[in-house]
Amino acid sequence: MSIIQQHTAATLGDAWRTVNIDILNEDSSVNFDTTTLHPPQPEISEADVRNLSTQVRQLLRGGDAEGALRGCLETPVYNGVDAAKEAHLQTLIEVLQSIKASDMTPLLKGIYAAPGGSELLDVLMKYIYKGMAVGAPATAGLKSPAKMTPQSTGFSQVGSRPGVANESASAAMSVLLSWHEKLVEVAGLGCIGRTMTDWRRV
Amino acid sequence: MEVRTPSSRCPTLPPKEARSCDIEPRVSRPRNEVPDRGSNHHLDKPPQQQQLEQQSCLLLLLVLAIHLPNMPPLREATAQRSAFSQSLRPYLQCVRSSLIAALTLSNFASQTTERHNVPEIEAQTSPEVLLTPLTIARNENERVLIEPSINSVRISIKIKQADEIENLLVHKFTRFLEMRAESFFILRRKPIPGYDISFLITNFHTEEMLKHKLVDFIIEFQEEVDKEISEMKLFLNARARFVAESFLTPFD
Repeated sequence: MSIIQQHTAATLGDAWRTVNIDILNEDSSVNFDTTTLHPPQPEISEADVRNLSTQVRQLLRGGDAEGALRGCLETPVYNGVDAAKEAHLQTLIEVLQSIKASDMTPLLKGIYAAPGGSELLDVLMKYIYKGMAVGAPATAGLKSPAKMTPQSTGFSQVGSRPGVANESASAAMSVLLSWHEKLVEVAGLGCIGRTMTDWRRV
Repeated sequence: MEVRTPSSRCPTLPPKEARSCDIEPRVSRPRNEVPDRGSNHHLDKPPQQQQLEQQSCLLLLLVLAIHLPNMPPLREATAQRSAFSQSLRPYLQCVRSSLIAALTLSNFASQTTERHNVPEIEAQTSPEVLLTPLTIARNENERVLIEPSINSVRISIKIKQADEIENLLVHKFTRFLEMRAESFFILRRKPIPGYDISFLITNFHTEEMLKHKLVDFIIEFQEEVDKEISEMKLFLNARARFVAESFLTPFD
């Protein structure tokens, strides 16, 4: 007598071999609850972010770059909808882009020296990495042949010069890269370490 | 005691004779695509000449396939260009400092399987030991993804590709390296989707190799690979031009 009493499609196929049974086990390490790794964060709505962004813009127009940057960094959107996070990132990048390269280091030093400044710079580091990651996952795995010219040597009129379309994007990246460099100089490598290990993600 | 450093053991350039056997299929692949590509570029020319050029393109690629294995070593032929362009330096500096921060690894045995010790970033069995992944981008086409975890770091690099030739060259080059991954220690056999080449550094690597040399190796690799690809492309174009000229002389 066969051990298997009833043959079904599920028992005959071998799809069941690839089922990750660890997920079904409550005590498995796969099911570790990562929400226990950080305190609960207040939820920030998109309207709050918009309010903040208008305030920051006003400060920026008034010439108070440090105040604008502080305003952005004091209320990071840890918990909120994607649109709110995105809007806050945009505000911060705007602030970063409007600050001159020669003002970066003194400004960062000023923030770092103030009480609680180290935490603010950690938040800045998180946003710098987030800013650079924008566009990466969306294009990941997809090659865009439409953007490529067939050959750079051929004088094709069809496609524009590569890199023209995303020049603004790469300009934003280079601003972030120079901020990153200055930030590491002021706050040290620990800043990157805390960005990696902190479970409050922006 | 011999200290094993990746830069001494893993040259970015494979030996010349080994490389030449890899180069040949690189040329034979686009052969089918060539006619329509050629016609795009020469729309304003008379049809006879167009046809002639199409034929010559085909022949040219054939000749290239035969000649490429005898190419001179790439580095000697072109003059050394300046090592750092202005925007490359902050990019590599950023990668360097992020890597230094990420390469703090400790031994960590698997929590799911007894007496196993696997790179957690690959196994993905314990979410609490995986850290926030960091992306460093110079522009849309050039970026580095660093995925740290408690006992391993996965570094994926997207190499700059401006057109289809570079795309092909990068693919062949990285494939060549990946096929020999065991002699590179830290090279991953398959890249992460969306990236061209991946490295996996575990705590065992950082224990037996010097950490700063590992970082240097990755940075050096990034510098070299850009140069390498653009040089290869220059050679390919130069050769193509030469072959086309010599083929078309009888028709003058």
